[in-house]
Amino acid sequence: MPRDSRRLTGPEECFSPYDFCCSAEKKPGVAISDCMEVDNARTDGRISSQLRPVFLRAGVVSQARGSAYIELNQTKVICSVYGPREVLRREDFSLKGQLTCDFKFLTFSCKQRRMHQQDEHEKDMAVRILEAMESSVCLHKYPKSQINIYVMVLQNDGSALSAAILASCVALASAGIEMYDLVLASSVAICGTQMLTDPTAQEEDAILDSSEKVESAGITTMAFLPSVNQVSAVSFDGQVSLDTLKQSQQVCIENCQKIYQVVRQCLVTYAMEKRKLKGR
Amino acid sequence: MAEEIRIVQPKEYYKRFLEKDVRPDNRELAEFRPVVLNIGCVTTAEGSALIKIGNTTVICGVKAELAKPDADQPKDGFIVPNVELPPLCSSNFRPGPPGEQAQVLSQTMADVIADSQCLLSESLCICPGKLVWVLHIDLVCLDYDGNVMDACMVALVSALRNTVLPKVTVDEETGDIQTDPTTRVPLQVTCCPVATTFIVFDNKLLLVDPTREEESMATGAVTIVTEGDNLCSIYKPGGTPLTENQIDNCIERAFTHGREVCRLIEDTLLSVDR
Amino acid sequence: MAAFTVVKKEDLEAQQKEESVQSLRCITSELGPLTQPDGSAVFTQGDTTALAAVYGPADVKISKELIDRATVEVIYKPKVGLPRPVDRKLERIIKNTLEAAIMALNHPRSLISIVIQETESLGANLACCVNAACMALLDAAVSMNFMVAAVSAAVTDKGEIILDPVSRVEDEARAVLTFVFDSVDKNIVTVITSGQFSQDEYKKCLYLTKQACDNVFSFYKDSLSKKLLKSA
Repeated sequence: MPRDSRRLTGPEECFSPYDFCCSAEKKPGVAISDCMEVDNARTDGRISSQLRPVFLRAGVVSQARGSAYIELNQTKVICSVYGPREVLRREDFSLKGQLTCDFKFLTFSCKQRRMHQQDEHEKDMAVRILEAMESSVCLHKYPKSQINIYVMVLQNDGSALSAAILASCVALASAGIEMYDLVLASSVAICGTQMLTDPTAQEEDAILDSSEKVESAGITTMAFLPSVNQVSAVSFDGQVSLDTLKQSQQVCIENCQKIYQVVRQCLVTYAMEKRKLKGR
Repeated sequence: MAEEIRIVQPKEYYKRFLEKDVRPDNRELAEFRPVVLNIGCVTTAEGSALIKIGNTTVICGVKAELAKPDADQPKDGFIVPNVELPPLCSSNFRPGPPGEQAQVLSQTMADVIADSQCLLSESLCICPGKLVWVLHIDLVCLDYDGNVMDACMVALVSALRNTVLPKVTVDEETGDIQTDPTTRVPLQVTCCPVATTFIVFDNKLLLVDPTREEESMATGAVTIVTEGDNLCSIYKPGGTPLTENQIDNCIERAFTHGREVCRLIEDTLLSVDR
Repeated sequence: MAAFTVVKKEDLEAQQKEESVQSLRCITSELGPLTQPDGSAVFTQGDTTALAAVYGPADVKISKELIDRATVEVIYKPKVGLPRPVDRKLERIIKNTLEAAIMALNHPRSLISIVIQETESLGANLACCVNAACMALLDAAVSMNFMVAAVSAAVTDKGEIILDPVSRVEDEARAVLTFVFDSVDKNIVTVITSGQFSQDEYKKCLYLTKQACDNVFSFYKDSLSKKLLKSA
């Protein structure tokens, strides 16, 4: 690979110091059982159907048209929206507005350092966010223009996709982009018969690359439009039976409805603040 | 009406304010914006800090990795600072590799670390010739409202001061590497360089801590980096020529500001338990 | 056949020691070595050499067009390889310096492009590049607010100040300061420093470089008048 001439670079080969921990402390891959303590309590003390507290705020980036910051305990995501603005390349002209999304994990946001360039996983996440948002935005109202969503994960402690979708939705709404409905999102980790709401990074890792073979394990993330009661996107990683999948989706919808109040409250507060500023 | 003049005739708009020695955001010419500092906000990084100067926001994370040292400098670790100005922080930036401004900022950060000697690359040595630390220091601007240089510098120093590394040992005979994540060693950061930026408005007035709008109208800029009673850098890349007295004046003010910022960093560090 | 003399390193060093520390190295230049650009110059200070070429005022791409003044573009080419962040910083410094010097308001909606090739970097490279660019601009007869002259000074560990340091002195020095002055009021256009120094040392360097910049300005004048006499 050619070295990056636009950045300062260190040596070509680097290793994470945590790869050399004593073998007794950490095995490759975390066992699922590690995440669950007795009495069905999770390591962070939640019960399986409990969401983490959501901190949500709109209008955090002064330069952007709309922006949002969300915290699910240690998962921290910032999002800003620019546009509608002129399409850069003439070939991209269309009568329907276009929505783009850029997603990036900051280099220090995960346990292992990430690269500066966007990798496949991040591109995939961007597409998933875009698919969740696209059906809700009234794109026909923005001919010949584009709306850009930029999402950055400052720290990833699980459920980054649902946090990113929530942040994008609040950012779009605060930018005054016309939408049919809010887009809410929630994740559920399936592990055997257990449904873990809003999984942490530890739980996600345990389920996705577990060394033990589990009959049914996976993570469902669902984007839900609460007022019209419709689903805009579902993404699932893993292997479960159809019934379990349906069941997990039901859990997701219930959780989305719990988050609805938080998102509403956040947007109302933002609108009030903005009016107060204008009134001055 | 005022807002329309601001967009159509920004220079005129500013002149009206500056005639009365006040800026549109109610600051005096030599007044800094309020600073909010949050140290240790990202726990996946070995060290981190988030700074807000007015609206300008910069987050800095330090990620430590291991590598073999260069053959000609067997004792020197690697310090790799990089500044990112992503499209998220302002509409002036486009997605893709870092632009000229980001590259200049990255280089300036590297230069300041070298000039001030706040972190010596020798202090990152684990086993000479075999293993050294690589510190990836990534600074990301989250909100670009001017004076990113000063913000980056505070974030950089705070994050370095916050950095703790796990204890790593190399077995003399076998060459095996052992990490003990329970024992944590802080970095040896010896000093606290602080940058203070001034811009020249309309070839004569000096404004401190400029906003984005002020920067776009500036005819020149001076950044002075102080460290205690010493100067680390005077960086005036072209622009309106200034007299010696004007620059001396800037240096004096930079020293006062430097001490204030150092105190802020110390106070914030004390309140962080880690 | 041209004769070459081998210069030994020791001889060179002895020679350098003899020279007073408070003077510039020998300056030579060649105006218009390249035929295609509108103006060009090779500038040599001791062993440090830079080549600069100026194109313009010429057409500008719409994306870079400024409606009230000329766009000034500087391209700095390092001796080997692609430009790295270090070179970008140098490029930015030279660009901002020249922008102040060039009367950009006289040529709205046009481009003045300056290409600088690092030829030999043996101390005071930035100063040499700025001086080469200024001479190339003079050669191209671009209208300017003032001329610029750059001089470097190094502060040694003992606190001595050495003007126009060679690369060995630069490497050992505690700090290196480069100043650029304008020709009208001798005000400071650019200051770039590396290393730690006190305010007192800064003032001393400023005083010495300010005196030395007169040599550079008179050198500009001599070279230009020679060239004009020749063409007349």
